Amino acid sequence: MIKIFTQETLLRYVYNELPAKEQQEVEQALLHDADLAASCADLLLAQRALDGLRRAPSAQSTETILQYSRSFLRKE
Amino acid sequence: METMQPSDSALISLYIAGQESAFAQLLERHKARVFTTIQLIVRDADVAEDLLQDTFIKAIHTLKSGRYNEEGKFSSWICRIAHNMAIDCFRREKRSPVMTVDTTTHPFTSLSLAEEGADDALTREESHARLRELIQELPAAQKEVLIMRHYGDMSFQEIADATGVSINTALGRMRYALINLRKKMTAQPVFYDQNLYPGDTTSVRVQRIAS
Repeated sequence: MIKIFTQETLLRYVYNELPAKEQQEVEQALLHDADLAASCADLLLAQRALDGLRRAPSAQSTETILQYSRSFLRKE
Repeated sequence: METMQPSDSALISLYIAGQESAFAQLLERHKARVFTTIQLIVRDADVAEDLLQDTFIKAIHTLKSGRYNEEGKFSSWICRIAHNMAIDCFRREKRSPVMTVDTTTHPFTSLSLAEEGADDALTREESHARLRELIQELPAAQKEVLIMRHYGDMSFQEIADATGVSINTALGRMRYALINLRKKMTAQPVFYDQNLYPGDTTSVRVQRIAS
């Protein structure tokens, strides 16, 4: 029997939010359903593009936070 | 071989017990996602740096005063604080939608320039700047879910709870956000450079299945 997966299920799949059994079912379906695989690839490409925007703060901000934490400990 | 990293929960317990290095690890693990969440909302790198500090200082107070509730994930909790602070700040200052990130001195950019050549890095930075603009153009509800899920590491259920909607609504908003972004990206060939949109999608599929 061919199981139909919604776009919302695919979305939960690419964000690792599906229970293990359902995740396996999606992965099996991806091997046989080219349209589903293409939709999944689109989502993964969008994820990859969004990942590219991730930025780290400056070292100075990080050090300020750590310094605050250390001094907060001394006040206690 | 990959070394086992302590969980956030374990690090929090160690930190509360007085081990400062545990907090340094937590900060290292989460600072980029928190910073990106804030930056996408306030659209100003300097303000984002300040709010990042405020966010973690609030976390320090909560953790050290024993008021931290272990029920949820630390990553979601810290990003919720950041999100609320950024929204408050944005509303207060009513900033105009201008990105003022100094891309010439940012350490990430410097690293890129050294590693992949100036032209490639500049093209990539331009693509990223445009993508940030496209995110700002999304309807507010879609943008909120996208930031919370992708950068804030909140689950769709957590987002639904935080925003007072059903999980299906949260999923639907995310889906439309990605569809909208994809439409706009497809309309602009700059997004099809190798940095953002590799031509062969097969490898992407295989990667996800293998992970």
